[in-house]
Amino acid sequence: MLNPGDKAPDFTGRDHAGKTVKLSDFKGKTLVLWFYPKADTPG
Amino acid sequence: MSFDTPAENKAFAEKFNFSFPLISDTDRKIGTAYGANADPQKGAARVGVIIDKDGKIKEWHARVDARAWPAEVIGRL
Repeated sequence: MLNPGDKAPDFTGRDHAGKTVKLSDFKGKTLVLWFYPKADTPG
Repeated sequence: MSFDTPAENKAFAEKFNFSFPLISDTDRKIGTAYGANADPQKGAARVGVIIDKDGKIKEWHARVDARAWPAEVIGRL
């Protein structure tokens, strides 16, 4: 787990349009992230 | 974010017309760094994270409701 005040781990991933997304793309902005187990599944 | 492929996420995004990007983490590196890869045999845990303007963790939650939580957060930020 991460704690408030920790440096957010850097990341690079690909979005659903195939575009590369990096943590640094959001510098100066508040970012909300959430993980989900599997696309298009409830619960 | 999920461990799905971009193609799986594309279908999901198009089905629900999401206004935010769905990021693939097929090698689980991001999920591991963010504490969402609790069981490598399963999909990602429903971790929710708010990162502030300085790149620091503002909130980390072990389990959030993917329908309600993002809207609740955006409403109070």
